[in-house]
Amino acid sequence: MPSAPQRPSAETETGQPTGPSLFTPARPAERPSLFTPARPAEPREGNDPRPRPPAFWERAAQEPAAPSQQPASPEPTPDAESDPVAASPNADADDTGATPSDIEPEHVPADAASGDDDAPPNDAPLDPHPEEFSPRDTHDETDTTGDDRPPTTDGPLPHVAPAPDADAVPSEVSAASDSDPDLDTAPDADVDTGALAEATDLEGEDADAGPATQADAGSDPAPEAEASPSTEGEDVLAEAIALDDNDGDLDDTPADDEPSDTATTEATEDTAATDVPADADYPTDPGDLAEEEFDVEADTDDITIPGEADKAGTDAADPADDSGETDPDTDPDAVADTDTAADAAADADAVPEPEDPQGAEAGQRVEELPAEVVEAMTAALRALRESVSDLRFSLDLPGAEEARQARADLLAQLENYVLPRVRTNTAPALIVIAGSTGAGKSTLVNSLAERNISRTGVRRPTTGTPILACHPDDRSWFAEGELLAGLERLERPSPDSGTDGLVVVSTEKLPQGVALLDTPDIDSVVEEHHEIAHRMLDAADLWIFVTTAARYADAPAWNLLRLAKERGARLAIVLSRVQPRSADVVLKHFVRMLTEYGLGDIDRFVIHEATVTDGRLPDSEVTDLRLWLAELSVDEARRAQAVQETLNGVLNSFRTRVPALARHLEGQAVFRAELRSDVEAAYLGALAEIDKASKNGSLLHGEVLARWQDFAGSGDLMRSLQFGKGGKAGRQTPERVLAFKAAIRAGLESVIVAAANRAAEEVVARWRHRSELGAKLVEGLDRPSDNLLRHAGRAIASWQDHLNELVRTEGVTKRSVSKLVSFDPDALSLIFTVAMFSGGDGSGVPHRLVNALLGAESLRGIGSKALSDLRARIGMLFDEESMRYVHALDSAGIPDESVATRLFQATYNLEVAR
Amino acid sequence: MTTTTPPRAGLAPRLAALNKVVELGPGRLDQKLLTEAGALLMHAGDRLKLSSEHTVVALAGGTGSGKSSLFNAISGLELSPTGVRRPTTARTHACVWGLEGSAPLLDWLRIQQRHRFSRTSALDKGDSQLHGLILLDLPDHDSIRALSDNEADRLIGLADLVVWVLDPQKYADASTHRRYVTELAGHDAVTVFALNQADKLSAAELAELVIDLNDLLRREGVEHPSVVPTSAVTGRGVESLKSVIATAVGRRRAAIQKLEADLQRMEQRLGEAMPLGDALLVPSSVDEARRMGLTDALCDAIGVPAVGEAMENVYAERSSQWVGWPYPRWFAKFRPDPLKSLRLQDVGDEIRGITTGSVSAQSAEVANAVQALTDGLSSGMDPVWRSAVQQAARSHASQLPKALTEELTEVAPRLDRVPGWWRLLKVWQYLLVVAFVAGVVWLVAGLTVPRQLPATLQLVGDGAALPWVALMIASVLGLGALSGIASRNFVELGASRERERLEREMRRRVAAVSATMVVEPVERELGRHHAFYTALRDLSS
Repeated sequence: MPSAPQRPSAETETGQPTGPSLFTPARPAERPSLFTPARPAEPREGNDPRPRPPAFWERAAQEPAAPSQQPASPEPTPDAESDPVAASPNADADDTGATPSDIEPEHVPADAASGDDDAPPNDAPLDPHPEEFSPRDTHDETDTTGDDRPPTTDGPLPHVAPAPDADAVPSEVSAASDSDPDLDTAPDADVDTGALAEATDLEGEDADAGPATQADAGSDPAPEAEASPSTEGEDVLAEAIALDDNDGDLDDTPADDEPSDTATTEATEDTAATDVPADADYPTDPGDLAEEEFDVEADTDDITIPGEADKAGTDAADPADDSGETDPDTDPDAVADTDTAADAAADADAVPEPEDPQGAEAGQRVEELPAEVVEAMTAALRALRESVSDLRFSLDLPGAEEARQARADLLAQLENYVLPRVRTNTAPALIVIAGSTGAGKSTLVNSLAERNISRTGVRRPTTGTPILACHPDDRSWFAEGELLAGLERLERPSPDSGTDGLVVVSTEKLPQGVALLDTPDIDSVVEEHHEIAHRMLDAADLWIFVTTAARYADAPAWNLLRLAKERGARLAIVLSRVQPRSADVVLKHFVRMLTEYGLGDIDRFVIHEATVTDGRLPDSEVTDLRLWLAELSVDEARRAQAVQETLNGVLNSFRTRVPALARHLEGQAVFRAELRSDVEAAYLGALAEIDKASKNGSLLHGEVLARWQDFAGSGDLMRSLQFGKGGKAGRQTPERVLAFKAAIRAGLESVIVAAANRAAEEVVARWRHRSELGAKLVEGLDRPSDNLLRHAGRAIASWQDHLNELVRTEGVTKRSVSKLVSFDPDALSLIFTVAMFSGGDGSGVPHRLVNALLGAESLRGIGSKALSDLRARIGMLFDEESMRYVHALDSAGIPDESVATRLFQATYNLEVAR
Repeated sequence: MTTTTPPRAGLAPRLAALNKVVELGPGRLDQKLLTEAGALLMHAGDRLKLSSEHTVVALAGGTGSGKSSLFNAISGLELSPTGVRRPTTARTHACVWGLEGSAPLLDWLRIQQRHRFSRTSALDKGDSQLHGLILLDLPDHDSIRALSDNEADRLIGLADLVVWVLDPQKYADASTHRRYVTELAGHDAVTVFALNQADKLSAAELAELVIDLNDLLRREGVEHPSVVPTSAVTGRGVESLKSVIATAVGRRRAAIQKLEADLQRMEQRLGEAMPLGDALLVPSSVDEARRMGLTDALCDAIGVPAVGEAMENVYAERSSQWVGWPYPRWFAKFRPDPLKSLRLQDVGDEIRGITTGSVSAQSAEVANAVQALTDGLSSGMDPVWRSAVQQAARSHASQLPKALTEELTEVAPRLDRVPGWWRLLKVWQYLLVVAFVAGVVWLVAGLTVPRQLPATLQLVGDGAALPWVALMIASVLGLGALSGIASRNFVELGASRERERLEREMRRRVAAVSATMVVEPVERELGRHHAFYTALRDLSS
C-alpha cells in the first residue's frame, strides 16, 4: 500500500500534500474517523451505543469469514485491488456494473482508521462531521495492495467466483485500511488510476471473476464478495461495510472527501471511466461524483478490507460523495441502510441516519454518566480497592512475585486512573507515548509541544521520569487532579525520583483536552523503566506506541501491542526513523505484521528519519499527528468516546485480573493448608505406628525381651508373688526389676524416636515435593528436635509411674486372691506392661498371671486406661514436634482467605454497578 | 578473566574434572545444570577435535543493527542479503577464509551448504591475516521471529569469538544485555562489541555513546570491554574490527579461550549450586570409632548385654535344680505354691518356658542406631548429599534386624540348655544322698536293733563304728552342700565366661553384618561425595 499511495497519485493529481508517509496520509483521512474506525475493529461492548460496528465487524468476519480477517491482509494485497475498486466504484459500476469496487472501499472503512486519514486530515481534520467513511481508504488500500494482489487474486478468485464483485471488494477493503496514506488529496487519484487500471484489468477480465480475484487478493474474503455481488449483492455487503465505515470514518471523511474530490475528480473520473464499470450499478449516479472522490480516495487508501466493507464502502461512498458534496451525512445513511441494500445507500436519505447514530453515540458518550451510576461505580471501585489493598501474598510460591506485581499495578491503576476517571470522565484525555528506547518518544513530544520538554540524547535509555505535557488550561487537572494522584509531582526530572515521580509541563502548543505523557522505555537494560512505563500505560486514555524502522519486529514491542489488545485500549502507532527510500517496503511489511496480529486497523503515523535539531523533528514530520491531536481536542464526543472505551477496556480487564489475584490468594491458602495437612498426616502416621507397635508385640524385642526372660527365668517373677498379706514394705525392689523397667522405657523411647524421625523425614520430603518454598521452610527441620529424647524419657517414666499407681489403686480387686497372695506392685506393673504389649489373644503367661491376680475386668480397665494415657503422652510429644513445622509455616505468613471472597464479591459488585 | 587471573591448569585436566562432576552428579545436582555441563563437555570435545586452524567468529546482535551489512563489509562481498524489513536474516551465513579443513567445522556448526561462502585464492589480497577465519552472520535474537528460533543462541554458544553488533538505537536493550552480556561475563577475551551505524552520529555523540557503552558493560561484569565503533555504510571502523578479528585469528587461541571462559562460567554456576565449602573435610570413610559406636548401638538393639545378664542369672537359677544341694529344694516343695493357690499350676512351667524363646532385634532401635551413624557423618554436608548418605545407610534397613537376630540366635546358647556335667553332678548329689540315707539307716539300726541284725550285718551293730558313721553322715551332708556351692560357683563362672564369649562373638558378628549392610553402602556414598567435590575443586584450580 505504501508504495501505491506515494507513487504517482500524489504527483499527478493535485500534488497532494500527502503525508510524509503512507501511513500518515492515510491517517489524516482516518483522523476524523480514527476513533470510529478503530472501534469497529475492537469488539464493542454492549455499552456502546453503536452496536453496529461490532456487528459489522463480526459479520465481516462471519460472512466473509476470510475476508473479515483480511482486515489483516489489507496490508499486503488487498489495497491495490481495493483501490481500483474504490476508484472505480463509479467506473466499475459502469463497466461491469459490478460494484465490487465500491464495495471494497467500504470495507476499507473497517480499516477506516487508515483510510480516513488521507483526505480528511487536510480539509476537515477539525471537522467533526461524520461524513463518508473510509471508502477512500479502501481505495487507497486497494491501490497499494493492488501491487501485491495480482498474485493473490488468483488464489482467492475461486472463492469469489460466485459473487465476483463483492468478493473483490471485501478483500480490497481490508487492504484499503492500511494504505490510505498518500491519498490525502488528489495525488491519490493518480495512483488510483494506475491501480485502477490494474484493478480494472483484473476486473475487466470478468466482471464476475475479476472482482472476485480482487477480493481474493485482498485477503480471502471471497465469501463477502459473494454477498455483495454486483449492485444488489453489493448492497447487502455495502450495508455491512457501511456499518464499518460509519463507525470509523464518518466524522472525518466527509470534509476530506470534498476537497480531494474536487481536486481529483477529473482524474478519478477518467480512471473510473476507463477502468471502472461498476458505478453503473448504483442506482444513484450521484455516485459518480462520489466515485470520483472515491477514486481519489481509493487510490490513497488501497487498503484491505473485507469484501463487504468494500461494497458497502463503495455504495456508501457513492452516495456519500454525492451527498458528501451536498451533504456529508448521506454516506452514513447509506451505511445505516445496509439492510435495504444499495437502494438505501443510493438514497441520500440514508446518509442522515448514519450521522444520527454517530451523533447519538457521541452524545451518549459525551454525556456524563448519571450521578447515581457514578456513585455506585465509585463505591464498587472503592470496595475493590480496599480488598485489593488488603491482599497479601505472603508465601513465596511460584507466581507470587507476579501476583504481587499485578496487585501493585492494579492498585496503582485503580487509584491513578480508574477512580478519578469514573468520577470525571470529561477530564482531558491522557495520551501516553510508549515504546522502545531510542524510538524517539521524547523527540516526538518535544516536536508536538514545540518546546524542549523532555531531554533527548544518544544515550540509552534517555528518559527515566515520565513527563506530562498539556495545555495550560488543563494543567490543574494533572498538577493537582486525582489522575495519577499516586505520583509525586516534580519540578524537573531527576534520576533519583524512583518509580513514582511525574513532571507536569504546560505548553500552549498543545491543544486543549489532550495531554501527552512521555514515558521511559519498555526494553532497555534499566528494568525500572519498564515498570514505570507500564504504570503510565495503565493510566492512559489513549496509547501511542512508538517504534522505529529498525525495531518494529522486536519482541518487546509486540508484547506491548498484545497488552494493548488485551486491555482493549485505544491505540495509535507511530513508526519513526523511517528512511524515505525504504519507507514503502518497511511500511508494507509492518502493516502486514500488524494485520496478522489483528491490529491492522488502528491509526498509524509514519515519521521519516530526519535531522533532529534541538531535540525536535521538523514540523512537517509531525503534522499529521498534530492534526490528529487537534481533532481529538475539538471533537469532544470522540474524545469522550475514546476515553470511555479505554476505561471500559480496563474495567473489563478487571474481570480477569481481579479473580486471578483472588485465585492466587486462594492458591496460597490451599498451599498452606496442604503443608499443614502434610505435617498432621505425618505425625498421625507416626502415632498410628506406635499404636500398632504397642499392640502387636513388636515392642517386646531386643533388650526388653531379654530382660523379661531374665526376670522370669531367674525366679524373680515367682518371688514377687508372696503368700500372706502385705508386710513387704521393707522389701527392696530387686535390681532386675529396675533393669527391666529401664529396658521397657528405653524400648518405648526408641520406638518414639524412630517414629518421630520417620515423621520428620516424611514432612520434609512432602514439603520439598510441594514446592521450593516448602523446601526452604523446612530447612533445618529434617531431624526431630534435640529435646525429643529427653522429653520422651520423661514422658515414659511418668507413664510408668502412672501405671504403677493404677495397678496399686485399682488392681486390688480380687479379694479371694489378695487374701492368699500379695504381690510386689512394681513387678506386677511390669508384668502388666508385658501383658499389654505382648498383644495376642490374652492367652500368654503374663496375661494369665495378671488375669488371675487382678481379674479380667480390671485388666481391661487398667489396660485401656494405661494405653490411652500412653497415647496421650506421645501425642503431646508429637504435637510439640509438629508445632515446629507449623511455626515455620506461620513465619512465612498467613494468607487471609476472606480477602479472596471479598475480591470476588467486589468484582461482582462492580459488574453490577456497570 | 583469562587476562587477569593467574595462569590456569591446562584445559584437559579441567575438562576431565568436569567430566567427573557430570558422572557423579546425577541425583545430586540440578538436572538442568547437569545437562548443560554435559553439553559443554560435548561441545568442548567436538571443538577440540575439529580444526584448530580455524577461528569461528560470530556476528550477533539485535535485528536491524547491521550484522549482515557488517558481514558483507568485512568479507567485501555481498554475501548476506541486507534489507530494511525486520528481521532480515533468518539463516546463518558463513564466510570462510582458507577453506581447507573447515568443512567438518561448518558441518558441526550446522551451516547450510548454500549459505557457505569462501574467501580463498583470487579474492584474497590483503586478507591473508584473516586466513583461518570463519565469519558467521547470525540471525537476530530479539525479534518476534527469534521467539521460536534458537539458532542465534546456539551459535553464540558455539562460536569461538562473538562480535556483538550494537547500534545507537539498541545498544542498551535488555534483550542483549540481560540474556547474553551479563550471562557471558568472563568472556572478555572472546567478546568484541562493534558499535555499528556510527555514521548516524556526530563525533561528539559517538564519543559520548562509546563511553556510556563502556560504563554499561563494566557494570555488567565485562571487565575489559573491547568496543569498536564501526559503520558498515561508510566503511569506517571496519578495518579496526578486521584487525581485532585478525589478531584473534592469528593467535589461534580463541577456541581455547572460549572454552576456558565457558568452563569458568560453568564452574561458577556449579559452585553456586553446590558450594565447595568444607565439603572436603567430611570424612570419606567411616572411621573405627564410628564403626565401634554403630556396633555397640546395634548390640544394644538386639539386647546383647541383657541377654548376657539373663544368661548368667538364668543359668545360676536353673543350675540349682541340677547341681545344687537337693535338700533345700525338696524342702521348698513343701512350702505352699502361690500359683497353685491361684489354680495356675501349669503357669509355673510356662514361666520356665519363657526362657526358651530366642531374643530378636528391635527394629526401631536398629533404625535409630543407623540414623545416629549417618547424622554424625553427614553433618556439614549439603542436604542433597546428606539424604543420599541416609538412603545408602538404609538400603538394607528391612533385612538388618533379621540378620542381626539370626546372628544372635546362632551365637547365644539356649537358656534351657543342660550341660552334661550338670547331670553328673546331679548323680553325684544323689549318690551323696544315698550315702546319707545309708548312713542314717546304719546309725539308726546300730543304735536301735544291733542284736537283731543278721550276722552278716554284725558290723552294723558294732557300736564302735557308730561315731564314724555319724561322722560320715555329717561329711556326706557337708560334701553335698559344699559340692553344691562349688558347682554353682562353677556354673556362674562358666556363665560369665559364656557371657563374655557371647558378647565378644556378637560384637564380631554384628560388626561384620553392619559392615556389609550399613558401612559399605555409606562409604560408597561418602567416596562419591569426596570424589565429586575433589573434581569440583580440580575444576576450579
